[in-house]
Amino acid sequence: MAAITLEQVVKRFGRDEVIHGIDLRIAHDEFVVLVGPSGCGKSTTLRMIAGLEDLSDGTIRIGDQVVNDLPPRKRNLAMVFQNYALYPHMNVRQNLGFGLTIAGEPKEVVAERVQDTAALLGLSDLLDRLPAELSGGERQRVAMGRALVRRPEAFLFDEPLSNLDAKLRVQMRGEIKRLHTAVRTTIVYVTHDQVEAMTLADRIVVMQDGRIEQIGQPMTLFDHPVNTFVAGFIGTPPMNLIPARIAGDEIAFNDGQQIPLPDRFTALVTEGQSVIFGLRPDHLCPDKKQRETGTSLVEIPLKVHMIEPHGAEMLLHARLAGQPVLGKMYAPRPVAPGDQLTFQLALDKIHLFDAASGRSVTAR
Amino acid sequence: MSPSTDQENLPAVTRLFRRHHSALTPLLLLSPALLILLFVIALPMAFSLYASFTPYRMTRPDSIETFIGLRNYIRLIGNDDFWAAFLRTLLFLAIALNLELILGLGIALLIDRVTLGQRLLRTIMMFPMMFSPILVGFQFKFIFNDNIGVVNNALQFLGLADQAIPWLVDGTLAMGAILFAEIWMSTSVFAIVLLAGLFAMPRDPLEAAKVDGCTPWQSFRHVTLPFLLPFAYIAMTIRSLDVARAYDIVAIMTDGGPAGRTELLWTLIARVGFDNARMGEANAMAFMASLLSILFTWFLFTRLLAARRTMGGVE
Amino acid sequence: MKLGSPVHLRGFATWSGTFLLMGVICLPGIWVMISAIRPTREILARPPIWWPEDPSWANFARIFGLGDTLVGIPVHTYFWNSLVVSLTSTIVALVIGMAGGYAFARYRFRFKNAWFLGLMLFRAVPGIALSLPLFILWSWFGLIDTPLGLILVYVALNVPFTIWLTDGFFRLVPPSLSEAAQMDGCTPWQAFWKIEFPLARPGIAAAGIFAFLTSWNEFALASHLTRSTDSKTLPVGLMDFTAQFTIDWAGMCAMAVIIIVPTLILTFFVQKHLISGLTLGAMKG
Repeated sequence: MAAITLEQVVKRFGRDEVIHGIDLRIAHDEFVVLVGPSGCGKSTTLRMIAGLEDLSDGTIRIGDQVVNDLPPRKRNLAMVFQNYALYPHMNVRQNLGFGLTIAGEPKEVVAERVQDTAALLGLSDLLDRLPAELSGGERQRVAMGRALVRRPEAFLFDEPLSNLDAKLRVQMRGEIKRLHTAVRTTIVYVTHDQVEAMTLADRIVVMQDGRIEQIGQPMTLFDHPVNTFVAGFIGTPPMNLIPARIAGDEIAFNDGQQIPLPDRFTALVTEGQSVIFGLRPDHLCPDKKQRETGTSLVEIPLKVHMIEPHGAEMLLHARLAGQPVLGKMYAPRPVAPGDQLTFQLALDKIHLFDAASGRSVTAR
Repeated sequence: MSPSTDQENLPAVTRLFRRHHSALTPLLLLSPALLILLFVIALPMAFSLYASFTPYRMTRPDSIETFIGLRNYIRLIGNDDFWAAFLRTLLFLAIALNLELILGLGIALLIDRVTLGQRLLRTIMMFPMMFSPILVGFQFKFIFNDNIGVVNNALQFLGLADQAIPWLVDGTLAMGAILFAEIWMSTSVFAIVLLAGLFAMPRDPLEAAKVDGCTPWQSFRHVTLPFLLPFAYIAMTIRSLDVARAYDIVAIMTDGGPAGRTELLWTLIARVGFDNARMGEANAMAFMASLLSILFTWFLFTRLLAARRTMGGVE
Repeated sequence: MKLGSPVHLRGFATWSGTFLLMGVICLPGIWVMISAIRPTREILARPPIWWPEDPSWANFARIFGLGDTLVGIPVHTYFWNSLVVSLTSTIVALVIGMAGGYAFARYRFRFKNAWFLGLMLFRAVPGIALSLPLFILWSWFGLIDTPLGLILVYVALNVPFTIWLTDGFFRLVPPSLSEAAQMDGCTPWQAFWKIEFPLARPGIAAAGIFAFLTSWNEFALASHLTRSTDSKTLPVGLMDFTAQFTIDWAGMCAMAVIIIVPTLILTFFVQKHLISGLTLGAMKG
C-alpha cells in the first residue's frame, strides 16, 4: 500500500486546459473521495493517476516513484469503472483471474486467490456465469473483486455506483465501506454524489472547473465550507445563500429586513461590505424545536408557498429578500401554502461569504 | 529508488513520443491504408490525368511524352458517341437507383410484416448481393436469349407471344433487360438495410402517433419514413461506391450493342482505351467518369452525416 | 373471421407478394443450376424441355478437363488463381483495414470525418476507369498478368469498406474494456488481442466476407489486368466461353455454379453480422 502524491498536475486537451495545476497528497490507507459536478475534472484526475491519460505538466508519485511516464500496467493500481468494464466473453472466474494470469501467476495460485476473493464478496456460486447473466449488483461486485484479487497498491473507483438503483446503491455503499475497513488500503473514489462522498470518505476533495475548491474531512466541509460553491454543493438540501450587506451591527437584506451580525464576524467584515448570507435549512425552523442549547435565535416571519413532507420532517419553501429559501420543520404540523409562519433563525449557524470572491469571511 | 529515476532514464525521443503518442497513433494505424490507396488508386488517377493531356496510343509508346493540352477534352465535347453514352449512363443510373430504392422499401415493409420464416426470407434476399455482376449478366443473357431463353420459351408455351421476342437484339428491349438485371442485383442492398432500419425502430413514436390520431399512412409518412432516412442514405452510399459494376453486366449481355444502343460511359471507356488503343482520349473520359462517381459518393456521404445529425442522439 | 375481410385480404396480399418476390430472386439462379446438370442438347431443344430428363455432372467434368470431351479452358487454374488472389487480398485488406477502423473508432484526431470520407472516396473510382492507368503502370512495373498485381488492386479496393465495417464494430466495444485490461497488467497490444479483437470478431468476419466477395467476383479490372492462365480469375474465365463463335451454354452454366456456390456457403454463415455491420454506421456517429 502506498501514498499517492499529485504536484501541480495540469491536463490539456489540445488548447483546452481542463486541470489547472492541482496538488493533492493521499496518505497510505486513506479513503479519499473526489467530488464535484460533471466536467469538473475529477474523472480526468483519476485517469491520470491510473495512467490512462497523460499529464500535460506536473508530477504524480506512487510511494516514492514518479509514475508520469509509466504505463497503467506498471503502476500496480486497480480500477473499478463506471460501467464495470467486465470482459463480456469471459465468465466470472476468468474475469477475476485475468490480471493474475496476465502477470504469469501459476494456475493454482490464480484459482486460490479467485476462490478467496469470490468468497469475500459472496460470488462463489456465480463463478461460471457470464457477465450478461448477472444482475447489476452482482456485476458491481465482480468489478470490485477483479480489483481486489490483484492486491494492488491502491484502488481507484470511477463513479462505481452511478448505474445502480437507489436501494442497491445504499447497500453497495455499505459494502465498499466495510471492504475498506477489512482490507485497509488506499482508495481514490470519484463521484458526483455528495451523499456518497460524505458517507464514505476519510477526506473529501471538492473540485470545480479543474481546480480543487476544498479538501477536508466530511464534517469539516459541512460545517466550515470555504466558499459558496462548497457550501451549496455539500449537504442536502443545499445551504440557503442570500445576498446581503453589512450595515453597522446588522446584516441587511435587499428588502430592508435585518438580522443582528454575530460578534464572531465583526472583526472580519467591513461596514457596507457586500456579502452572501448562508444558512442551512436545518437552522431555519418555524417550530420552537431548535435543539441546540445555548443557541441565540432570531425570529423572522416568512410566507410559505410550497410544502414538501418527508415523513419525520417537512421542508418549507419560502422567500427571503426575493430569494427562495428552504426551512425545515422537525415536528410536522398542518401547514398550507400561503401561511405566514414565524421562523427561528440560529445565529450561531450563520455563514458569511464575501460577495465578490465567494470566499467565507472566516477562511484564512 | 530516487524520486525521478524513471522519468530521467527515458531517452528524449521516447519521452517526446509518449507526450504526443495520442496524436501520432491514429496516423500510424492509418498509414498502411493510406500507402496502399495512394499507390494503387491515387497514383494511377494522377497518371490518368496526365495521360489525358497526351495523344497516348499503346501502339506508339513515345506518344506518352507529347503534351497536347486539353485537346482530348475538346474532342470529347464534340463527340456525339460520348454524349450519347454519358446521357444514357445518367438516365440508366437515375432509373435504376430510384427503382431500387422504391422496390427496396416495398420489400422491406413486406418482409417486416411476414411473421413466418422471416429469417429464411432475409437470407434468400441476400443472395443477389453475393452474385458476381458478371454472373448476373450471364444469367440474364441466358434467360433472355431470344432462341433458347427460358423467358421466351415460357411466353410462347403459355401462348402470351406467338414468336420469339428479341430481348437483347432490340435496342430498347436490351436496355430494359440490362436495367432488370441491374435492379435484380442491387435492390437487396436497399431492402436489407431498410429492413434493419425497421427492426431498429423504436415503438414509442409510432404509438404516440397513434394516440395523437394519425392514420396509418400519416404515421408512416411522418414517423417511419424520417426514421428510415439515414438508412436509405447508407444504402445509397454503399451503392454509390460500385455503381460502375453495371459495366460487367453490359459487357457480357450486349457489350454496348446493338449498334451502340446500350453503350454506357464505362463500356465506351473500355472500347476506346483497350479495343481502339486510344489511351489519351480514354483517360480523359475515365477521369471525368471518376470525378462524377466521387462527387456522387461525396454528396451522399455528406447527406448521410447530415441526416444522422438531425436524428440527434438516437443510439 | 369471415373470408374476404380486410385482415384476411392483407394477409393474402402479403403472402402472394412474398411468393412473387422469392420467385423473381430465386428462379433465374435455379434455372442456371438446372441447366448446369443437363446436356447442351436439352438446352437447345425445341419445344423446350422444362425438367432435365438426363441429369448428370458431365458439364462439370467437361470444363474441368475430365472425361473424354475436353474443353480448351483451364477452369481448375482459374479456380486456383481466384482462390489465391481472393484469400490473400482479403487477409491483407483485413489487417490494414482493421488498423484503420481501430484508429477511427478509438482516437480523436483533427478532420476525422474528412479523413473517413476521403478514404471512402478512393473506393468510388469506377474499376474500369482505374483499369486504364493501372494497365499502363502495371505493364511498366511488371505487375501485369501477375497474381501480385491483382492482389494489390483488390487490397486497395477492399480497405475503405473494411475500415467502414470494423470502425462500427470496434465502436461497439466500450473503450473501458481495453483500459480495464491495461489496469489488469496488459500492454495495449495484449489488450487488443485478448479483449477487443475477440469482441469485434463477428464484425471482422463480416468485413472479411465482403472483401472476399469483392475480390472473388471482380471483373472490370481483372479482365484488363490479366491475360493468361498465370493470373486469370474465374469471372474473366467465364468470358472465355463467349469469345468463341458459338456460346457453350451448358459449360457456362456449370462454371457459373462453380463461381457462386462458395460465396453462398460463406455468406450463409455470417449473414446476420453482414446486416448489422452495414447498418452500424447509421446511428452511431
